[in-house]
Amino acid sequence: MDRGAIEKRLNHQKDLLSNLVKKAKSNGMDQVEIYSSYGYSEDVSLEKNDLNNCTANEENMFGIRVIHEGNQGFIISNHIPSLYESIEEAYQLAKSQTTPDLDLILPEARPIDKQFDTYDMTLDSMGIEDLVSYAKEALGWRNEFYGKVNIDSGEFSLSKGYKLIVSSKGVMAHELGAELSASVMGMGVDGELVGSFDYDSASGFQKDQFQSLWKKAFFNFGDKCMGALYSKPISGFQGKVLLPPEAVYSFFLGLFIGSLNGTSLRKGKSKMEGKLGEKVASSLLSIWDDPTNIGFMGSTGFDREGMPTSFKKVLTEGVLESYFYNTYEAKKAGLITSNGSATGGAQSLPGCGPKQLQIAPGTSSKDEFFKQPGKTLFVNRISGTKDGASGDFSGVVKGGYLLEAGEKIPVREVQIVGNAFDALHQIEAISKEGELLGESSFVPYLLLDGFTVTGVSEN
Amino acid sequence: MRDLLKECLSEESGFVELRYHHKESRSFFAERGRVESTALRKRTGVGVRVLESGTWGFASTSEISKASIQNAIQIAKKAARLSSALRKEKIPNLPKANFAIGDFIGKGIEDFRGRSVEEKLKMVLDIQNEAVKQSTKLQSVGCGYSEIYEEKAIVTTDGADSFFSLVRPEFRVSAVAKDDGKLESGSHSIGVTGGWDCLFRSQSATEISEEACKTAVDLLTSELPDGGLSTVILSPSIVGLLVHEAIGHTVEADFVLSGSVAQGKIGHRVGSDLVTLCDSGNSEFYEGAGGTIPVDDEGIIPTNTVIIKNGILTSYLHNRETAERFGVAPTGSARAWEYGDVPLIRMRNTFLLPGNSSLEEMIASTKDGYYLDGAKNGQADATGEFMFAVQKAYRIQNGKVTHLLKGVTVSGLAFDVLQNVDMVSKEFKWDLGSGHCGKGQPAKVDAGGPYVRTKVLLGGK
Repeated sequence: MDRGAIEKRLNHQKDLLSNLVKKAKSNGMDQVEIYSSYGYSEDVSLEKNDLNNCTANEENMFGIRVIHEGNQGFIISNHIPSLYESIEEAYQLAKSQTTPDLDLILPEARPIDKQFDTYDMTLDSMGIEDLVSYAKEALGWRNEFYGKVNIDSGEFSLSKGYKLIVSSKGVMAHELGAELSASVMGMGVDGELVGSFDYDSASGFQKDQFQSLWKKAFFNFGDKCMGALYSKPISGFQGKVLLPPEAVYSFFLGLFIGSLNGTSLRKGKSKMEGKLGEKVASSLLSIWDDPTNIGFMGSTGFDREGMPTSFKKVLTEGVLESYFYNTYEAKKAGLITSNGSATGGAQSLPGCGPKQLQIAPGTSSKDEFFKQPGKTLFVNRISGTKDGASGDFSGVVKGGYLLEAGEKIPVREVQIVGNAFDALHQIEAISKEGELLGESSFVPYLLLDGFTVTGVSEN
Repeated sequence: MRDLLKECLSEESGFVELRYHHKESRSFFAERGRVESTALRKRTGVGVRVLESGTWGFASTSEISKASIQNAIQIAKKAARLSSALRKEKIPNLPKANFAIGDFIGKGIEDFRGRSVEEKLKMVLDIQNEAVKQSTKLQSVGCGYSEIYEEKAIVTTDGADSFFSLVRPEFRVSAVAKDDGKLESGSHSIGVTGGWDCLFRSQSATEISEEACKTAVDLLTSELPDGGLSTVILSPSIVGLLVHEAIGHTVEADFVLSGSVAQGKIGHRVGSDLVTLCDSGNSEFYEGAGGTIPVDDEGIIPTNTVIIKNGILTSYLHNRETAERFGVAPTGSARAWEYGDVPLIRMRNTFLLPGNSSLEEMIASTKDGYYLDGAKNGQADATGEFMFAVQKAYRIQNGKVTHLLKGVTVSGLAFDVLQNVDMVSKEFKWDLGSGHCGKGQPAKVDAGGPYVRTKVLLGGK
């Protein structure tokens, strides 16, 4: 599958979907939206330090929304010949409801300023043979440098495709994309000693960029697995935790960002309700959302509703500056239009949220975080649970270290408990160094104080 | 469909497996006095797996035609040939198995087809409207009903030839309560394999809603428990999480081969005498368990696999490839979520066998501990260290349940926790049929068992 074939398919589909929408309008359906997601992917998987499987998949999914007098029906299908029947089915679903809300409407078309095309021609001629060679290289790295690391699973993927949205309100937008990605998961094993799982991944939209990122990710994975192999239990304490970028993004930040979702705010489920303009975090913390940066993976000119995306300040020196809205939630909040923050794809109704979060770097050197006086728990990863409404979280620390008196002691059977909204004020320092996670979000290291660490050891 | 698939295989000589999969998911959700969403998801296609030159190749197509399926077979073969040069451990052949042959039509399908969209919408709306009247502290109550209807046909060149269908309905309520700036949530859900009557057999929709709302309101006045190693009595839903997360994942044979803590432990003591653990494709003890499958995704009739018998590890969970490696019969544990997914070794319904005690006896004989209830999420590690999250922790002091505490994360080492099991109740319940297990791809599973007393690490203040 090459760019020419994908473009031909896209152009054909634009006509097809436009005609379907016209037909629906002529049959009395005023508000119809079709979101199409087409992907062709080739994958090579690893298992148990060996190649496992080669696969090739192609699929086109369609998310069809029909709104009728304030009620909405939604159908997801991968069957092109029956798409019009699916539109009618969505219409029937809408008509079967009895609780209309006239604020529920499809958005009018708005101009999209930035046109994105992340289909780099270096990926055009690539195929499964290249993925097999990447797999061979990774298994070689494992054998040469990490003999005690078992690769439980891994995957190399080359995907190409497009997204397209067409609506009866004049929305028509599309973007092509191609991406190389790889991931690996496994653990250190030394005789009967088994270490904690760890993983790493890399992705890129250019061949050379991907190769360099993937090599870095694989060696990072190997180091983390080896670091976790000789872990031991510790006793509990009250004190500092050090979060690396991955942990900041995947666990800590998610709860706060979730509370800025227009739907949670409207339903009274967010602690950030009514806090715009207020200081809700340490002055050290500034966050923005920038889906328009052409250099980042996943940047896009339009959101799930075909509305233009834009740069947004979220938190400036601890002061809350914005929430995230799709068209419906914006209308419920009294705004004229959404702020381009509709999330999701063909398989989901539009939600609300950011696309490319960036956290401002701090002024501290991350190396200094590893030399704090007293005890500091380095939280590589948290296997746990979190509650969006209360902000409470708790979990087992995986691949973590106790940093004490210049020593770095790998730990196991350690839990931490906290509250994300309180933790926003517990930030003691932010590093100037960080990582571009998924090649899309810059995230630094965070040092926080005042945490409860539970361990099993008496001493 | 079986005929079309067989026709596609008629000229094939090596191993080829064709899996037709049609899936329809319907969901209805009400909140704040109105229906917030209605969705119907339809996905159909054929997954093609071949074994050639000792290696797997896989391809899929959403076009159900002979030409398209045969093209996918050729793509899968090419993929297998390309990877053969790199794969070290070649797969010599696949073992014979108890292949499913014929049609297997699940219970409850007519029931689910016979109920209208309007009826399902009315239920979620009515329950939601009633729920918010329970307390002025309730900020929001969401009520959702969903159902997954699936049909599959699996045909292989070495003998599998089956069609099966099933339906899995689920019902869930989530509530958020607010008081003095504090927000707490409570949720309760059920999920079964079967019809509407099966879904609401042990609890009505109203009772489920009342429980979720009460949890959210009660938690407003709760505090964190003391952290540390504690004696706990686990409810069946928590036992389900324990046996699924702590043990089930570590005995999946692909994890075992990667070096999980269960490697080399067959025949070894891994739990107390009171522990007998099984994983079954059937719904043991009573019908409706959420992970029930009449046929696995390699076309094999699933077994009731005894993993631990009276504390001794006796079996892993296998697909055909790992069964060949271990020299045992496949357990019928290969499962794929969508037609485009390769089947993986997955649990089905995992459960601990009931014992002789009663819950009352267990509480009365606990001087200092906690009763844990309300399953949330969980994860396991290759080390055997697991974690699961609970909604509610009730303090037990001097043989009596005293007050409610906020549920937190519970963790431990799988085999240590089983070794510490000292009481098992007579009662039995499946209680994990809603939600999904994740392992690269989702899977519907269920788990449960009796009430169990053991020791775990409780996160807390």
